[in-house]
Amino acid sequence: MSTTAAPAPTQTRAVGRVLGLSRANATLMVRNPLTLAYGVVTPLLPLGFVALSGSEDAATGGAISTVLMVAWLLPVYYNVLSIIVTRRDELVLKRLRTGEARDHELLLSMCLPGVVISLAVAALAVVVATVMGQAPGSLATYGLAAIGGSVMCAALAVWTASWTRNAEAAQMTSLPVLTLMMLGTFARALPERAQEVVALTPGGALDALARLSWGADVDALRAAAVVVVWTGAALWVASRSMRWEPRR
Amino acid sequence: MTNEDSSIAISCRGVERTYGAGRDAFTAVRGVDLDVPAGSITALLGTNGAGKTSTVELIEGLAPAAAGEIRVLGLDPWRDREAVRRRTGVLLQASGFSGDLTVRETMRMQASLTSTARPIDAALDDLALLDKAETRVGQLSGGEQRRLDIACALLGDPAVLFLDEPSNGLDVESRRRVWDLVAALRDRGAAILLTTHYLDEAQRLADRIELMHAGRIERSGSPADIVADLPSTISFATSSLRSAPPLPDLGQLRVVEHRGTATIETHELQGSLGALLAWASSHDVHLDELRAETASLERAFLALTSKDSSSKDRGSSEHPDQTKEHAA
Repeated sequence: MSTTAAPAPTQTRAVGRVLGLSRANATLMVRNPLTLAYGVVTPLLPLGFVALSGSEDAATGGAISTVLMVAWLLPVYYNVLSIIVTRRDELVLKRLRTGEARDHELLLSMCLPGVVISLAVAALAVVVATVMGQAPGSLATYGLAAIGGSVMCAALAVWTASWTRNAEAAQMTSLPVLTLMMLGTFARALPERAQEVVALTPGGALDALARLSWGADVDALRAAAVVVVWTGAALWVASRSMRWEPRR
Repeated sequence: MTNEDSSIAISCRGVERTYGAGRDAFTAVRGVDLDVPAGSITALLGTNGAGKTSTVELIEGLAPAAAGEIRVLGLDPWRDREAVRRRTGVLLQASGFSGDLTVRETMRMQASLTSTARPIDAALDDLALLDKAETRVGQLSGGEQRRLDIACALLGDPAVLFLDEPSNGLDVESRRRVWDLVAALRDRGAAILLTTHYLDEAQRLADRIELMHAGRIERSGSPADIVADLPSTISFATSSLRSAPPLPDLGQLRVVEHRGTATIETHELQGSLGALLAWASSHDVHLDELRAETASLERAFLALTSKDSSSKDRGSSEHPDQTKEHAA
């Protein structure tokens, strides 16, 4: 039917679809005052902790972990969960699935704006720390931790969305993951045996990876393995239980 | 291509769709067979809950069929989704927009999902939405949102178009505009599968009608075929017959008196009407509210859907004074 130019190769089209949808999702994020507040503005506030953390590696590592935890939880985890559930309620996902985009492209486009924000916050945190004379020991390790945390939180958001009935219910269904994440920041105040258990939670593993570049004595391999396992498990379960339309 | 006849754009054989499992399982689509040739419009008609949308969603590739085979342009719409979607346009019965995007942003997003997208302004102009391009979708009326929905479905100039209740919420002018667009697309060779509650829409647009009831296709054919077996009707107020002699033989199938109206069913409309008018003239009878109608799609539809209700009502309750039936 069409007389337009021949379509671009498959991968180029897939990238174009993801970027086109991501741009629309980013526009919607900026236009909604509530999302703008918790997804963009709030993650910037804890950067002040880094500036105030002084010249001790441990204090800087702790402050960085707090910054990243907020950046992973709000722009990524809660924001992605909210986007998926709201778009599903509004039947937007049902419409989008009638187009050429594959399911994982739709999910990726909803995750991308939050992931970009969390990585930008992570980059700003390094800049602030460096200015304060506390540059990370290994920038690559820090970058991998920031990316790993973002990917895991996006995966956990997709998994939570797969069994969340609607936007109101998301306030409750997000609590288990929020708790598991927040445990990481409290872990250092817990008894040693409790710390061993918390190290296996998403928050415990991410806290360890975040502090790694500021000389923290942590089992980096175990932390990385925990992140990989949680991410894989979340995606595996979500791929089998994801719903694209509201429950009737 | 697995179809033997490459002119058939959509082909379904023995298609079934089931919701739920175990004792709660409900089969909404029961062995549907359907062919939609390229360059034609097929209308799927039926009551609410007949299984139209469930069937169309299977053909669109939104869900897998529980049984049977579906081919769209020779491909399985569920397994070969990406390839099929490149050449199809879909208008869902109910779907949503993000209200904070403008019309143009929405179309731009849709275009990013469509490898053969036409220029956005042209697509908006087709649906008289160009002057709303910078308006946020949440501020559009229901009819304007429906037009935007249709503009999105037509953006890729599809070879196969699915329209599920396209006229819902549209005013008369918009309906005609959509009909013209759909007819033009058909004339350019597209296959169009349409579901609608507006029987005049089906009668005007469709080359072929599929009447669906309780998950099955009960009747198929051109609009003329569908009504071919049905009688035409002549009706008038029964008060006209007061102190008039009995009706003569009009070649009728039957006469039904209901709520003050006598309805004569006949396959010979012109002959029966001529005989009735001659009888009325010779006995000086004035036939109030006289109407003559050829068989319509609406009557075919009602005849189909009344099968269930008449069997349910059998033996119950209508007062003999309200309805009298006289077989010919």
